[in-house]
Amino acid sequence: MLRQVAISCLVAALVIPAAARTRPHYGGTMRVEIEGDPWQRPGGLARRLVFDGLTTMSADGNPQPALALDWKSENDDHRWQFRLRSGVHFHDGALLTSVNVVASLASACNTNCPWTTVRVAGSSVVFTGDSPMPNLPALLAGDDFRIAIAATNRAGGLVGTGPYQTAGFANGVLTLTANDACWQGRPFVDAVEIRVHRAVRDQWLDLSVGRADLVEVPAEQLRLARDQHLTVLASPPVTLLALQLASSGVLGNPNLRAAIALAVDRSALSNVIFQKQGEITASLLPSALAGYSFLFPTGRDLNRARELRGGIAPPTLTLAVEGGSALQQLAAQRIALNLREAGFTIQVVNAASASHPDLCLRRFSLECSEPSAALESILHTAGQSVPLPEQSLAVTFKAEHEFLDRKLLIPLLYLPRTYASAGRLRDLRLVPDGAPDLAQVSLEDAP
Amino acid sequence: MTPMKRVSLVAVVLSILMGLTAYASSSPWEQPAAALAEEIVGILGPGQAHLTIRNLSTIPTDNIPAIRRLLEQDLKAHGVLASGAESANAIRVTLSENIRERLWVAEVVEGNETRITMVHVDPGSTGQAQAGSEIALRKQSVLTSSKVVLAALETAHGLVTVEPEEIVIYGHAAEGWREQKRLGIGQKKPLARDPRGVVFPAPDDEGFVAFVANMACSGSYQPVQPAGNWTVRCTESDDPWTIVQPPPAQPNIASQTQPSIDSQMNISVAPIKAFYNAARNYFTGVVTPSLGVDLPPFYSASQVVRSAVSAPLLIIDIDGKVQLVESGALKPITGTRDWGSDFAVLHSSCGSGMQIIASGSGEAVSDSLRAYELPTLEAIPASALLSMDGTVTALWTAPDGKSVFAVVRKPAGPGSADQYEVDRVTASCN
Repeated sequence: MLRQVAISCLVAALVIPAAARTRPHYGGTMRVEIEGDPWQRPGGLARRLVFDGLTTMSADGNPQPALALDWKSENDDHRWQFRLRSGVHFHDGALLTSVNVVASLASACNTNCPWTTVRVAGSSVVFTGDSPMPNLPALLAGDDFRIAIAATNRAGGLVGTGPYQTAGFANGVLTLTANDACWQGRPFVDAVEIRVHRAVRDQWLDLSVGRADLVEVPAEQLRLARDQHLTVLASPPVTLLALQLASSGVLGNPNLRAAIALAVDRSALSNVIFQKQGEITASLLPSALAGYSFLFPTGRDLNRARELRGGIAPPTLTLAVEGGSALQQLAAQRIALNLREAGFTIQVVNAASASHPDLCLRRFSLECSEPSAALESILHTAGQSVPLPEQSLAVTFKAEHEFLDRKLLIPLLYLPRTYASAGRLRDLRLVPDGAPDLAQVSLEDAP
Repeated sequence: MTPMKRVSLVAVVLSILMGLTAYASSSPWEQPAAALAEEIVGILGPGQAHLTIRNLSTIPTDNIPAIRRLLEQDLKAHGVLASGAESANAIRVTLSENIRERLWVAEVVEGNETRITMVHVDPGSTGQAQAGSEIALRKQSVLTSSKVVLAALETAHGLVTVEPEEIVIYGHAAEGWREQKRLGIGQKKPLARDPRGVVFPAPDDEGFVAFVANMACSGSYQPVQPAGNWTVRCTESDDPWTIVQPPPAQPNIASQTQPSIDSQMNISVAPIKAFYNAARNYFTGVVTPSLGVDLPPFYSASQVVRSAVSAPLLIIDIDGKVQLVESGALKPITGTRDWGSDFAVLHSSCGSGMQIIASGSGEAVSDSLRAYELPTLEAIPASALLSMDGTVTALWTAPDGKSVFAVVRKPAGPGSADQYEVDRVTASCN
């Protein structure tokens, strides 16, 4: 009952009330503006619309069939067989086969795959692992494992099987058009235009004058957006801001890593930089998902941090900022200040310009609503892994606790993903990782 | 204190104690408290420990003393006594929860070492009550399928369902309907994201006629042994779909205590067909025979009996406007603000004898149905909401007119597709 109520509340909170409660209308062009790259992993909006995965996550966060019709595990989750949907075509007309699925998956992760081997078995794809893979169906819903092949037509590039196909890119606008032959059915909206690398203030301006239908709202500006009476769609906390530490070089010393973990002031980050819109966390999973986050203390202990650093005066450490947004730069500067107070010297650099930074401020997307799968997914993104032989909370907690004890990843804040939308969008929902589900959207004023 | 007051006080105290005992004995916290106590004892062993409890969950705070009592009892039964804060051992219990379940966590502190254990708590369930009203709607599941169901028809020889690419025949079995045959429609064009279909009894009342986008199918039944044989023929077609079908002869209607309005007035219902936009999810507005007025594109239509001489068409257009097509004019209906895109007419022995069953939303996660009366040009709610526990994707009147059928899409668990449930909805009088 609690779960149903919670999920109902969650889903209800994620749905914008539609003005006219009819079946969805077809047609029209939806205009979206973003600050980043529409193809980025994870969470790139175009990636979601053009490419499908073998599985997808349902509204309640469970893996559902997508390009795979069904799946079964054998040998205590060491072997998984996914049966492919038949009659699915890529945007260039090529048929989806187990051969091109295996090729796509193999190139997706190279040596950092959650499986040991993936191979063709008739119209199925078989994964085998040296250790159990209870979360494989959930992991395959992630953006890293969407199926793409090189186009065989003149247009070139990568093509997928998704509801929209790439039509062109001009003047900073990526245009996607409806895939009439989509296996899930043609989407309602004829075209999606994504204006990329658009400053947030310009996005809001475009929304206010009717030039955009969906724009981003950074978490720290959520209150401002509401004050300006924007129609805001906010997810639960789904984006983890964390500090990733190198395990070699100066930070090969675990005491120094522990000192850094104790020196970070999460409260200041939350209050000053993110305007209290984040959930302070020292756990990799948010409290709403795990329920045990309180077991990881979030407090700062500068004396203990100095004690752990001991007499060591480490050389200047580089702190890279992934994504390079202005806000994340600010957060990095704040962390650098915290660490200086503990006796560290920090130089903040852009991730692109630092090949092997000592520390990296990163964002991780919570793609699954099953705690064990979510933990595995985050660690996979971080290039780490822990043994998770089963999906119980006790096992998940133990694995997370042991991993965090190594201080290779220091969770800081969980942030919501938020958007503001125009009134003409209907049935706009956020999927479990907070991204908007644009494929299901229709327009109220469609012809 | 007078003796009477003393007796009263004792009675009150006894009542409270009895109430607490009764509460504790039937408490939903007994099982998790016992399980957590067992886990704690497994770590700590017999001895003394200082027990603290904090509540981070939605459990009401007035439940905490009872939970504490249960934990203390269970720990004591295993040889662990709750002691004061001076004890070297501590048990810190946190009542927590996540979006899926409640979680009770114990941090067992022995000296410098802290060990953690946790148990899940079955949140239990609460009953739900529906407000009373003149008419009560009831639903009965007819069929559940993991495939998309667009429409269904119960015939004397089985259940026929229409899927986007197949016609499926089900036969009677002890446990309900059992799939007998799947016949490809031969759909060559990709369907829209919100596909629709209809199925009606054939004029001979033995077979059926079905439509999906771009295709028309007819099914006929031959009563050969042992289980009969269905033949289905499908052809590409842009013919109009039947949206109003003359009801078959219904001798039993006359025997009802309150005959339905059309049986009393003997209004003939003529078949009406409408052209469907195969690339979209609505009818174009072109109907045959013509109703003397240009109709807008619409999602649903049904014929409603309003008087001895009038059986106009009720439509809901693609902007959500409900209109009556009467005497060559479109008349807007009020009171339909909460209607979705689908409705169907039901004949019952309640109220006026005819109710309109309307869905509450086109794409709601948890949809509902409600009965309405239409005495004038205003729809009057006549029943409480009937929760359908999913999204209503299709709604139509049964051939006998006495029930409506709904297809409800329900989210499924991990590793499986959504489930489609065909429900029969009937009305009874309160």
